[in-house]
Amino acid sequence: MNHQRCSGNHRRAFLSDMGMGFTGLALGSMLQSDGISRADSSLPWSPPNGKPSSAAKAKSVIWLFMNGGVSHLETFDPKPELDKYAGKSIAETPYKGTQDPEKLKLARVTVVNDANGQQRNKLFPTQVGFKKRGQCGMDVSDWLPYLGNCADDMAIVRSMYTTDDNHGAQTQFHSGRHMLDGEFPTLGAWVHYGLGSLNDNLPQFVSMGNREYWNKKDGHYLGPMHDAVPVRAASGSPLDFGSPERPITPDEQKLGFDLVGKLNSIRGVEYPNDPALAARIKSYELAFRMQKSLPEVMDFSKETEETKRVYGIDKPASRDFGNQLLAARRLVERGVRFVQIQHGAGGAGAWDAHGGLKNNHSSNCAKVDQPIAGLIQDLKRRGLLDETLIVFASEFGRTPGTQGSDGRDHHIYGFSVMMAGGGIKGGTVHGTTDEIGFHAVENRHYVTDIHATILHLMGLDSRRLEIPGRKRLDIDHGRVIPQILA
Amino acid sequence: MLFNTVLIIGLTFAADPLDDYQKVIKPLLQSRCYSCHGALKQNSKLRLDTVSFILAGAGKSKIISPGNIKGSELLSRVTSLEESERMPPEGEPVTPAQIKAIERWIAAGAPGPENEKPEVSPKDHWAFNSPAKVAIPANTNPVDFFTTEAWKKKNLQPQQTAGKRTLLRRLYLDVIGLPPLEADYLSFINDSSPDAYEKIVDKLLASQQYGERWGRHWLDIWRYTDWWGLGAELRNSQKHIWHFRDWTIESLNNNLPYDEMVRQMIAADELSPTDDKKLRATGFLARQYFKFNHNSWMEETVEHTFKAFMGLTINCVRCHDHKYDPVTQVEYYQLRAFFEPYQVRTDMVSGESDFEKNGIPRVFDCNLDAPTYLFVRGDEKNPKKDKAIPPGVPSFLTLGDFKIEPVNLPIEAHAPELKPIAYENAKLLAKSKSEAASKAYSLAEEALKSIKKPEEKSLLEKKLASAKQGLEFANEEEKSIEPRWLATKAKLLEPMKAETKAKALLASKAEKQTALAKANLDILNAEIELLTAAKGKEDAAKKKMEAATKAQEVASKNIATPSEVFTAIKGSIKTLESNLEKEDSRNKPYPKTSTGRRSALAKWMTDKSNPLTARVAVNHIWARHFGRPLVDTVFDLGRKGALPSHPELLDWLAADFMQNNWDMKRLHRIMLTSKAYQMNSSTLGMEKNIALDPDNKLLWHMNPRRLEAQAVRDSMLQLAGKLDTTIGGPTIPPAAQNESNRRALYFFQSHNEHNIFLMQFDDANVLECYKREESILPQQALTLSNSKIAWSMAEAIHTQLQLKLSQASDKEFIQASFRLLLGSEPNDAEIAQCLDIFAAWNSANPAKQNVAGNARARLLLVHSLINHNDFVTVR
Repeated sequence: MNHQRCSGNHRRAFLSDMGMGFTGLALGSMLQSDGISRADSSLPWSPPNGKPSSAAKAKSVIWLFMNGGVSHLETFDPKPELDKYAGKSIAETPYKGTQDPEKLKLARVTVVNDANGQQRNKLFPTQVGFKKRGQCGMDVSDWLPYLGNCADDMAIVRSMYTTDDNHGAQTQFHSGRHMLDGEFPTLGAWVHYGLGSLNDNLPQFVSMGNREYWNKKDGHYLGPMHDAVPVRAASGSPLDFGSPERPITPDEQKLGFDLVGKLNSIRGVEYPNDPALAARIKSYELAFRMQKSLPEVMDFSKETEETKRVYGIDKPASRDFGNQLLAARRLVERGVRFVQIQHGAGGAGAWDAHGGLKNNHSSNCAKVDQPIAGLIQDLKRRGLLDETLIVFASEFGRTPGTQGSDGRDHHIYGFSVMMAGGGIKGGTVHGTTDEIGFHAVENRHYVTDIHATILHLMGLDSRRLEIPGRKRLDIDHGRVIPQILA
Repeated sequence: MLFNTVLIIGLTFAADPLDDYQKVIKPLLQSRCYSCHGALKQNSKLRLDTVSFILAGAGKSKIISPGNIKGSELLSRVTSLEESERMPPEGEPVTPAQIKAIERWIAAGAPGPENEKPEVSPKDHWAFNSPAKVAIPANTNPVDFFTTEAWKKKNLQPQQTAGKRTLLRRLYLDVIGLPPLEADYLSFINDSSPDAYEKIVDKLLASQQYGERWGRHWLDIWRYTDWWGLGAELRNSQKHIWHFRDWTIESLNNNLPYDEMVRQMIAADELSPTDDKKLRATGFLARQYFKFNHNSWMEETVEHTFKAFMGLTINCVRCHDHKYDPVTQVEYYQLRAFFEPYQVRTDMVSGESDFEKNGIPRVFDCNLDAPTYLFVRGDEKNPKKDKAIPPGVPSFLTLGDFKIEPVNLPIEAHAPELKPIAYENAKLLAKSKSEAASKAYSLAEEALKSIKKPEEKSLLEKKLASAKQGLEFANEEEKSIEPRWLATKAKLLEPMKAETKAKALLASKAEKQTALAKANLDILNAEIELLTAAKGKEDAAKKKMEAATKAQEVASKNIATPSEVFTAIKGSIKTLESNLEKEDSRNKPYPKTSTGRRSALAKWMTDKSNPLTARVAVNHIWARHFGRPLVDTVFDLGRKGALPSHPELLDWLAADFMQNNWDMKRLHRIMLTSKAYQMNSSTLGMEKNIALDPDNKLLWHMNPRRLEAQAVRDSMLQLAGKLDTTIGGPTIPPAAQNESNRRALYFFQSHNEHNIFLMQFDDANVLECYKREESILPQQALTLSNSKIAWSMAEAIHTQLQLKLSQASDKEFIQASFRLLLGSEPNDAEIAQCLDIFAAWNSANPAKQNVAGNARARLLLVHSLINHNDFVTVR
């Protein structure tokens, strides 16, 4: 792996909207004059046309990211050996081979000698029971009773790994690159860049929830028009500057928007070839529709009480996340391509259980379990699950060993990701970690394999999305995980 | 029909072998092979940049035998299944289609084009040779001379000069980042003197707002950012980095020569070690600080120093020799070695002894012997420790003698506690504490005198005793400053003298007396706590009492034992080198010498024979005046970068810039007074030009530009008459930004803290911003349509217009609004459109109409014009 940081040339900017629906335009117009190496240099480069390049299984993604790091050992990857050797140092167990320095080389340290992100050698017993769930008999933690009901819809990849042993891994999970390499577009930005709009009244890439710890941008070299639009599951103020901060009637405002459009068009006579002017006219039209449409999406008054209960909105613990997931369903129902939801505020993320793992994870699980299960169930009965991909992930797992007396530290060598919905083979458990859940051993997957799988299901090939002058490495593209596909 | 089809297919297969070479093979070799087998390098003595080189082969061995596919090593190497054998060694293998082309070409005898020219030697690359001035006729603006030449060659018709309003608005926004007001327009329009325009150029360049506007541009390039970290922990950049921002603004306003600015940024601590004003410039390097990983701190420093000042992508050379420019991996580490010894500290400023509140972040050479090692393939885990790499510049840019000489620092530079302000600040702080204590004592006395509940008497008496002791403590502390200061000075200046020992004894004694006063105070406070402790909390209070009693015993004993240990007065604090550094290492005295490395580097960078520095600066200034740089890749003037659109112009300006002492205002003036700058931005009726040069590369019309985030906001405030023009000072914290009327460049802004208004308009990315994005997003429309600031500024602008125009017709109001907000007269269609909407607005809101005539519609018009494309555009 060669992690060089080569930011290359200035992005080629696009002067036409390319039929890509809800995007903006970048007018840097920095055209590069030299020959730029491309995957296939015999064809001139052209931007994506907004259509899938292969048959798409899914139209939308709902990306659920648990900030701080979920313990794989207490959710989807039970390890009885941890209980057997609880309190022993790893060296005293038959699994001391896991500490082979060669195998530990994977970590690329950002924070030298940090208090966290260390090896924890004294094994910590599993803090919760597991049951076989569904017809498939998948092991699911007792802290996730509702998700257990969906076992036959879920695929678990138990053999994930990453390389940043600190929370920079949050960005890494989304972009595929270690923090020290710089900043790169996130998966949602690539999907947004590659696929056309299904609804010109709504942004196609939105983000909800807490994203304090990592940078709030997604597009990076693809440009700010590919950043997620931050929205809130609140019909009163679903987005920043989403409604006038002074009293103005809807009629007055509509007339104002009309006037701006008309005046800009008149200027177009004098400046006929100004692409910015044309783009601005369009951006005002889109803005006006967005301002009208989003409150309607976030208004749940027409949802039945039963539906709200399915998402756990009636319970204080799961209300917030339930609201966001119901909003997510309403967004994908209306054609939004990528809904990214971050769960867990505070520090580097609410799931970061360096101490008191039992309290931390049992309470966090209670906040998200029913909403996610409800989302799967609700999408299914509406016939939307087949075209919507759900991903449940976090930046890394947690150490098999104890931190302090009752916590687990960051763990990059093996952890789990759950996927469900469009094109995913439910009831699948793919890949394994070793007996103490330390290293991913069978069918190992770097985080970009999740990206590749999602892009594949969306009908995209990340190699075809490349931009001249921005060299991507093999590892950036990742490999599709065929075993979890339906 | 059938016959025809076969024929066509047949033709497609029988490709011309020369075509194969020129359309497929040569581009392939160019992109994948030339870097090691071309003009830059000739690994295995092989060059592939012409057919005759290919035929000549590698040293004695041939790599192709024309006509014989099987005997050609070139083919076996590119098709090898062994990864160690296969060429090229990196990246994906050559595609089957490309291999087929190579086969066809070799089979056909490997024909080459006539007179094929080899790659130009890297040393002859245009930007690696000193810029020179081509002679131009006297009294001609070089911009006009060279652009006219380019138009003539391409048969382009230049656009007309823009109208006076458009021109003035462009000039104001461009030079000071604020639009003109109606009075400014009128005085320009009414000035018929031939130099009316030049006078405005000079006036704006002389205004203080020029430094703010252009300071923000340069700060983009220099990655200016306030500090950030996790919560309250500083991890990146520095507190009070705004001193560097203020230095930038002042230097531009004083027209400090650009080369001197660069030298100060890189090495003011060596070149002017006791000049606090200049030391602020090293904020450029202090900003690179990263607490957790010195290696990535160094990487970013090297990368962005060379991108910003020299237009070189040195960062590519961390892992391997440069693929385009003649820089080796070893040379990368030589460049890093210039920066290896430096660390960051904060020096005290007058009037503030709390480093959290103020102080100048600056750099100094701290670890004089810190070695630099080459990292194998750039991997920091794999350093070659057998040899430390000394500082040095790339051999292709050796400019005469390069010497590094250590700098002996004056004592106030390495011992800033000797500066009078260190003493004064300590005194000031102690005095303010005494005054506070004295006030607290009076209050306690008052409380006892006016007692209402007799049962509280003993508590109030105790409180009075505590306040009295508090005063005693403060007084002792104040008294200790003088002896500590004398001892601090003596120890530094005359460490061997007998008097120094005596002074240390006195300082120590005074400090111990202070400690005893403090211990006595703690006892009294513990008594109060015991008296007032809630039920169940008595134990904690008792423990405090015990601790205080013990401390008091120790303090009493200490007084009896004379010693020379005292706390020196502080004048500076070092930023922790990393999360591992301990306090004793942090508090070590600063070195008395500096390595001289950075001043040598800075002199080399700004040497007049350095071919890059002036060109890069000219290109940046040009880009911001004309909306497009002369070299598109502003941070890469190397062989991979773009070619200049007007090479002779760039060189003329760069050479002139250096000849005239790197005078930036002169350079601005040349550009701004050119006819090219004053052209209209319209392309109406210029279809012929559009066909010839659709991207306006040769600048036959002005490029319209979108205003930067700061200018969008500041413009609204300026037109509303609300702008607070105070210059400089501490950053405005996020919570105060919404209500602030200061210019936006004073807002606190970091990787973690984005002002939500500015963010919508592509505010600078603090990690890298050589050119601002100019996106057009619906969120921008919502921001200007809905934000409180857009509304309140619209209201203020409306109020101002109405002061003069409340009795005037709607048409006159519309005209005045267009002039003020857009810098142009509305045409008939625009006026008609606005009048139409007035009627519609009035009927949409009949209640308001009766209250204030057309006032509501007029407000809505002003607000709509803030949303007009041309409000956020420089025409």
